[in-house]
Amino acid sequence: MKELEYQDIVQQVEKALQELNIVSPKLLRDKMLEALAIEDNDLAREMLSQVMENYVVAEERNLPLCQDTGMVMAKVEKGEEVRVKGGSLRQALDEATRRAYSNNYFRKSVISDPFFGKNTGDNTPGVYFFELQEGDNLRIDLLVKGGGCDNISSLGILEPGSKPEEVEKFILRELDKKGGQACPPLVVGVGIGGNAPYALYLASQALSRPLGEANPDPRYRELEEKWREDINRLGIGPQGVGGKVTCLEVRIETYPCHIASFPVGLVCNCHVFRQKTLKW
Amino acid sequence: MQERKEVILKTPLSVEEIKFLRAGDKVHLNGFIYVARDLTHQLLMEDLEKGKELPFSLSGSVIYYAGPTPTRRGEIIGSVGPTTSSRMDKYLEYFLSRGLRATIGKGERKEGVKKLLEKYGALYLLACGGAGAYLSTFVVEKEVLAYKDLGAQALLRLKVEQFPLLVAYDTQGGDIFEEGKIKYRDILLYNKIEGRS
Repeated sequence: MKELEYQDIVQQVEKALQELNIVSPKLLRDKMLEALAIEDNDLAREMLSQVMENYVVAEERNLPLCQDTGMVMAKVEKGEEVRVKGGSLRQALDEATRRAYSNNYFRKSVISDPFFGKNTGDNTPGVYFFELQEGDNLRIDLLVKGGGCDNISSLGILEPGSKPEEVEKFILRELDKKGGQACPPLVVGVGIGGNAPYALYLASQALSRPLGEANPDPRYRELEEKWREDINRLGIGPQGVGGKVTCLEVRIETYPCHIASFPVGLVCNCHVFRQKTLKW
Repeated sequence: MQERKEVILKTPLSVEEIKFLRAGDKVHLNGFIYVARDLTHQLLMEDLEKGKELPFSLSGSVIYYAGPTPTRRGEIIGSVGPTTSSRMDKYLEYFLSRGLRATIGKGERKEGVKKLLEKYGALYLLACGGAGAYLSTFVVEKEVLAYKDLGAQALLRLKVEQFPLLVAYDTQGGDIFEEGKIKYRDILLYNKIEGRS
């Protein structure tokens, strides 16, 4: 049995939440520079330039990259031989969120109930997904994203036996309609299989992976690359002003599915990709 | 193609000074703008129905759809980028009919908004989404006008200098999103997904 200290988890998650809201990773900056080199629409270039100025100002002035500092999402993979001393993982995540959001002037955007609630005042609770695994590892993938990009999430119920082209068509149609509202260039998560709720879950999990982490299956790697290129051929462009870069990455996650169903989940992340992975 | 213009505007805005602007033109905005998002609009409407007066004059005014982060001690404002405008479309005509001259936000708006802007002679301006820290550097003054306890949903008056914007919808039905997409999309791919091939 591996024992972990509750306070250690709180501190590390708090630090990660503080950083990811203010500091943009080098890989993201590189992708934006690449996009700037590709774009020839001066309006798209203007938007990308402001995005890059934003990285600098946020870090210099210790300001959040985006005013929408999100509802904290965490995917937690916990080994069965891991025990947390001094509190539960859920408590630790809430405590870390409370501290990070209260101490750093981040926006508190969570209300306690959709109909009857008030702002909780500390951005808790987050949305946490727990998965039990064998072994003694603990991995927490943190993801913070705004409401604007979450609002274009979509579920497609396709015909059983659908081909990749049909899934792609669904994604392209959805993004053509709504992609411009979600602050492109986007990171696009696609979940295929399981059942309807699980497909959305998979799409969301796909976004929790760090930038640049390739799909281990070469067949899906190829599809991810093709779909990214085709999304970019929609012409939506940065902030929807028209251009060649609408999508930074496509991530596909799959699961076995029922012979009568073919659910496809689509969940997107805006260009302010705020993700961190912690491991114990 | 028509050459893009770059202009400096100061609020309050008149129809005359904005009607020659076209989608895609660059605007550097100066003067006062009013910050309001979903709940702020809802509360303003409720107050107006109760017969209360608006805490600011709508004539020639500009509303910014945004909800900033809390302000650090000694600073003017936190991060303050635009939110998705289409959620505020249902309130738009009420304010336009009383003199609102421009709104600032991000993303395409719902059916009918362009017609309203033509009818009343008003602009929809695009600020860069996800650049809230950068955009905060153009704010020189902030005052809370109402709903202070709501934090990010409070009604604010900001004084801005050279606030960087693009004309998204103009007074003639021009649309930066549609024009951009049509120019840059691969028409064969587009026809295929629309089932026209």
